[in-house]
Amino acid sequence: MTTDEGIKYDRSLLGVEHPIGTFDVTKKMIVGFARSTGETDTKFIGTPDGTGEVVAPSTICNIFVNGVTRPDINLEFGDLSFFAGQSIECKSEIKPGDTLSATTRLEEVYAKTGRSGKMVFAVWQTTFSNQNDEIVALVNESFVRRNRSK
Amino acid sequence: MLLDLHTHSIASDDSRASVEQYVRWVGVLRKKGHCIDGFVLTEHRQFNHDVDYSTLSEANEILILKGSELDTDCGHFLVYGVTKEITEQIDFSNVNMHAEDLVEICDQMGAIAIPAHPGRSGIGFAEYLAGGRKGFDTIEIVEGLNGSNRPGEGEKAQDLIKSKGYKSIGGSDAHIVSAIGTCMTRFTEDVKDESDLVNKLREGLFRPVRLEESKEQ
Repeated sequence: MTTDEGIKYDRSLLGVEHPIGTFDVTKKMIVGFARSTGETDTKFIGTPDGTGEVVAPSTICNIFVNGVTRPDINLEFGDLSFFAGQSIECKSEIKPGDTLSATTRLEEVYAKTGRSGKMVFAVWQTTFSNQNDEIVALVNESFVRRNRSK
Repeated sequence: MLLDLHTHSIASDDSRASVEQYVRWVGVLRKKGHCIDGFVLTEHRQFNHDVDYSTLSEANEILILKGSELDTDCGHFLVYGVTKEITEQIDFSNVNMHAEDLVEICDQMGAIAIPAHPGRSGIGFAEYLAGGRKGFDTIEIVEGLNGSNRPGEGEKAQDLIKSKGYKSIGGSDAHIVSAIGTCMTRFTEDVKDESDLVNKLREGLFRPVRLEESKEQ
């Protein structure tokens, strides 16, 4: 639906998977993340005595993608960059003891015009799979570049 | 007949509302006594020929039409009556599209292009005309009432309408569910489909209204 015609960036990165690491999921990590988001369901935070099984809230992949270094697309536009949004598509449960591996790829680069003028969006999709090669989550993130307001 | 001529669903990258959610909210508005007969989905920089809302439309007695909102070198334009011939001729995703070419192609191919939210800074038609942009002799209509305008932008649109003698349509520019219907266009005759919408706009028998003016008597 969109085109990147007229936008100067490194097109060789489009659709190419880049490994970004592995992440060991622990019960402590799950419970800590769940509590930090105000979660009260024992399914995620466990029982008060610390016993019982837990599963990860579907948004836990957010802590893994935070700080990930992606290849520079060498976009020749704008001088102001910021995060423009994230969505997480949950595919399967994430449990303590899982080892997740993640790859990220540049999905799309497109332009639009808004109240602040032209903006260029770069959309990255990060795929998380568990030790059984089962995809557990897809994280889509947008980053926008525009010119500073005069 | 009251139609919201400017809405965005999740097909647009900046909307969080599904078409089904809009339909449900229209039901809520109707229960509150408002009249709203339908809406036009004007997704940003795209047109999907394949998507079909006829079942949803018939099941809920709501007219759901498709248009588009395009970025041009003269601000944003609403386009109604989009055909395959038009999408083959125009790259809808081109944010630098020449606005006069768009208007001309639409005029020639049975569609109509109307400046959206003309009073906005950067993406409003008025600013470009004030900057010396010439042409656009065939434009007779602008979106005078936009539900997502900031203070001052509606007034600027009204100044343009008065100075140029344009007719005015209304649309909510909804990106969230509860915004649909906040501004609409009242047609004196029923609109049947996208092609008929273009005809009714060309005939000029309409006026913009706010939701408060849509209460059934």
